[in-house]
Amino acid sequence: MAAAFAVLLLPSQAASAVSLLAGQLLMALNFFFLDKLVKLFTEAALGGPDKRPRPLPGQFFVWLTLKLLLVYGGSFAVIRFDLAAPLPFLAGITVPLLALFLKSIMLALGNGPSSLRRRATKTAATFGDAAKPAALLLAVALLALPVLVRASDAVTPASETTTAPEHGAASSEHGATTAEHGAATANQGGGGGIAHLPNWVVILNDYFPDNPVVRWMHANEYLVFAWLAGLVFLAFAWIAMRRPKPVPGQLQNALEWMVESMENVCGGMLGKHLPRYFPYIIAIFFYILTMNLIGIIPGFKSSTSTLDVTLALALMTFLYVQFWGIRNLGLLGYVDHMAGSPRDVVGFIMLPVMIPVHILGELAKPISLSCRLFGNIFGEDTLIVVFVGATALCLKASLTALAVPPMLGISALFMLLQTLTSIVQALIFALLTTVYLYMMLPHEEHAHGEAHPSH
Amino acid sequence: MHFAAALGLGLPIGIGLAAIGSGIGIGFLGQGAMGAMGRQPEVLPKLQVAMIIGFGFAEALTIYAFVTMFFLQGKIQ
Repeated sequence: MAAAFAVLLLPSQAASAVSLLAGQLLMALNFFFLDKLVKLFTEAALGGPDKRPRPLPGQFFVWLTLKLLLVYGGSFAVIRFDLAAPLPFLAGITVPLLALFLKSIMLALGNGPSSLRRRATKTAATFGDAAKPAALLLAVALLALPVLVRASDAVTPASETTTAPEHGAASSEHGATTAEHGAATANQGGGGGIAHLPNWVVILNDYFPDNPVVRWMHANEYLVFAWLAGLVFLAFAWIAMRRPKPVPGQLQNALEWMVESMENVCGGMLGKHLPRYFPYIIAIFFYILTMNLIGIIPGFKSSTSTLDVTLALALMTFLYVQFWGIRNLGLLGYVDHMAGSPRDVVGFIMLPVMIPVHILGELAKPISLSCRLFGNIFGEDTLIVVFVGATALCLKASLTALAVPPMLGISALFMLLQTLTSIVQALIFALLTTVYLYMMLPHEEHAHGEAHPSH
Repeated sequence: MHFAAALGLGLPIGIGLAAIGSGIGIGFLGQGAMGAMGRQPEVLPKLQVAMIIGFGFAEALTIYAFVTMFFLQGKIQ
């Protein structure tokens, strides 16, 4: 490669070609010395048969001084005394590094003992069957992230209207300064949004309205809280299961109880197929549970109270169920399932009717899942907003002693109801996923249209 | 009739009607659950869980009406 580069340049600029060659030779010399030094160093560090580190041999230092003299001294001399044109010289220095880089890429992507592909597949094998669609979805999501960020910036002006009049009233409890900011955003938000309680993103936006990061977080509140919920649950699970004991501690016991209860319920439906689908079901359950419950804490918002998030979850479930449906039943079996499994003449005659009906039924599933979760959580949120807003209104109208205690009491009561609804809705989502997966299993005695929770 | 007036009249009435159906459904669920719990008290926990899940499903239809209201309420100016 060195010769190739030099030959390319030789006819036009002889001096540059020589400098290029000189740079490459210098780097090659460097590699030669490095090779020797590293070999001596590792031999000394790992030691002989007794595996104890030995002191570095004198030969090491000889080679080291030789390398410093020749390589660094040589390059210094070349640059100081202008022995070669500087730019081609530096380019020549980088050429062997480029060759090394390409070789490392080929090693990583190839099939050798240390390739990345081999290591990635080994890790994936330990996660079992859930790994492949999960890894694919994760890769797609990570690749699509810049596109989504760009698109969300385009949609920013429309979503600024969600901070509403209640924001100004409710935040007067938090501090005097935020009231003016609240009023300013309330004027901006008069276009017809339903009120929301302030969360820490909104408050941050009030204090630092010019920071682009804060502005992005404010425009994509639900995304911030979705990530936060995921991180919170991951932290909880990691802390609970860090050192599992045969007689479990409190956190581990709680987590195990929840997982085992879900296992009992889902296992009753899925039977021996449980290990394949359970990771996804339990992940969806805990994620939705965390997202719902976080909204009860003042200063946080449940991202499931926006249709975007619930629709995303429902679409993911839908794709997962269809993927496993096609994989379990085979493509022909899947179409047969969609057609209502015609077995006799009447079945075949009803084909043009049954196929659209079944397809519509399948499409209704993600819509119903998303609307149910969104409606419940958003409704609970709005209830709390109404009562907390009424409390704030009473405070502003200085009816403090009269009206605030019953209002606070009612708010607390509805927060209890919110807790119940959050848990129940997460459970219902996970159970419905289980039921849809059960429908997609190969079965003979399944009574079509009778055991469908089709709403 | 101005469409905003029609929406303002129709949306809450729609939710109310949907709630009637939900109420009847939940009532039937509760009746069956209470009867079964009375006949066989040892399955009470299982029935309780199933009853609550059933409530969630029956509520869902009212929630659809609520979501429709939420989508259209912005158009009432």
